[in-house]
Amino acid sequence: MSTIVEAECLTKRFGDLTAIDSISFSLEAGKIYGLLGRNGSGKTTLLRLLTAQLFATGGTLLVFGEQPYENRRVLSQICFMKENQTYPKRWRVGDVLAMAASFFPRWDADYASVLSKDFQLPLTRKVRTLSRGTLSAVGIVVGLASRAPLTIFDEPLGLDVVARSLFYERLLDDYVEHPRTILVSTHLIDEVSRLLEQVLVLDQGRLIIDEEAEALRSRAFTVTGSASQVATFTAGRTQIGGEQFGSLVSATLLGNVDAGERRQAAALGLELTPVSLQQLMIHLTSTASHRKARESV
Amino acid sequence: MNAVRTVIKMHTSTLTWFFLPSALLIQFLSTLIVILMIRFFGGKTPIYPGGLVSICVLMFLLGIVSLNDTFSFALGWSCRRTDYVLGTTVMAVAVSAVAAVLWLLFSRLEIVTGGWGVELHYFHLPYLNDGSLIEQLCIYFVVIANMYFLGFVIGSIYRRFGRAGTLIFLLIVFLLMSIFSFVWTYLRWWGAFFHWFSQFTAFELALLLLPLTAFYLLVSYLLLRRAVA
Repeated sequence: MSTIVEAECLTKRFGDLTAIDSISFSLEAGKIYGLLGRNGSGKTTLLRLLTAQLFATGGTLLVFGEQPYENRRVLSQICFMKENQTYPKRWRVGDVLAMAASFFPRWDADYASVLSKDFQLPLTRKVRTLSRGTLSAVGIVVGLASRAPLTIFDEPLGLDVVARSLFYERLLDDYVEHPRTILVSTHLIDEVSRLLEQVLVLDQGRLIIDEEAEALRSRAFTVTGSASQVATFTAGRTQIGGEQFGSLVSATLLGNVDAGERRQAAALGLELTPVSLQQLMIHLTSTASHRKARESV
Repeated sequence: MNAVRTVIKMHTSTLTWFFLPSALLIQFLSTLIVILMIRFFGGKTPIYPGGLVSICVLMFLLGIVSLNDTFSFALGWSCRRTDYVLGTTVMAVAVSAVAAVLWLLFSRLEIVTGGWGVELHYFHLPYLNDGSLIEQLCIYFVVIANMYFLGFVIGSIYRRFGRAGTLIFLLIVFLLMSIFSFVWTYLRWWGAFFHWFSQFTAFELALLLLPLTAFYLLVSYLLLRRAVA
């Protein structure tokens, strides 16, 4: 599989603030990546660096094997749907779609018109009068129909739940037919987790996780049952989260479950379930933040 | 070449550029109505309302507005900064050329109709309209393009250095101009300066504006190459 993005010690500082702190990673062609992290963790900054909209303070970055700055060969293969993408003031939604055909060489106009019906885009409305949700939908239609070899969706958040599930569905369908590299940056982790093949997690500008989604999920599991039985099972293990519903208790534990532990859980009448990526993220980012805070003291 | 064409297409679809002629037409027609009223009430002096200043101001504003309206968007949609500047330059040159031809046409029409029948000198001015038709066309074109790129360079400073940077820049320019004007007055050089200035025809002065226009464009390009979106 070919590598389409290679970052080495990539750093971006804004004055005293280090938004991206010497991170190294690579993205392979034909995979769906999730870029996760809390607000202000540096996700959008990283995406703006990838697309040469910002200048790195240090490190190297190659996209499609070349540096992206002022590079038409590279840029023409990227479609980056920024969360706060601005459009010329007088444009209507129809103008956005018409212009996309000129900007993105692989634009599929028929697919765009199907998608705009699916997402009920008001083609004659002025873009600046759109709600945040409809504006996100415009970005999603452009991103999907651009069929760019590297398509980036930054926080497609404003969508309602129906539109979001439509987005996930269309994304997967189209990805199967036209494989390409897709990078979704979001903090709606659990919703997108089923789409993702690989997960990158940023925390305070540092890349704390770069792992296959499956491997990440097997890092932890949740055990549910009566309080006393759960306590017996969790004794001596690292617990990273827990909840109580009446007499039922659930605990999230770090580590893999082997066959012996499964039998033990069954004997205790406990239910074992894979951990949600979101819970794992909360644990990992909060511990990373704590560690960083401790280091700086 | 495709990328440059895309930028031109983007500009034409923003419609901002077409507000210029419509705004001017409205201004011209309203001036004409006012003059008609003046004539109706017996006013007789020929009137030079300085409508051409409006063209210059509008082109200057267009330089700022068109950049502000499209630069961030174009970069967001994977456009190279160089292609953006090239496409915008082609667009500005084309619009300036069309505006110059229209200006010439209207100034000829103004002469033929005796100042629209009411001695209104809106498009045609003494001195500025000296020389052959080709020379006049060149004067109009250079003046219009120069005003556009002056706006464009100020817009570029804003994109590169933000609000604070632009403010500091304008303050420095203002300060330098004040010092310059003070020294010039102190040394009593204004008379000599105007004397030197008046030996040129309008056409020659327009030619002098050309390197200045090219300088604005070059500075804009250098600034936008380092601007972020």
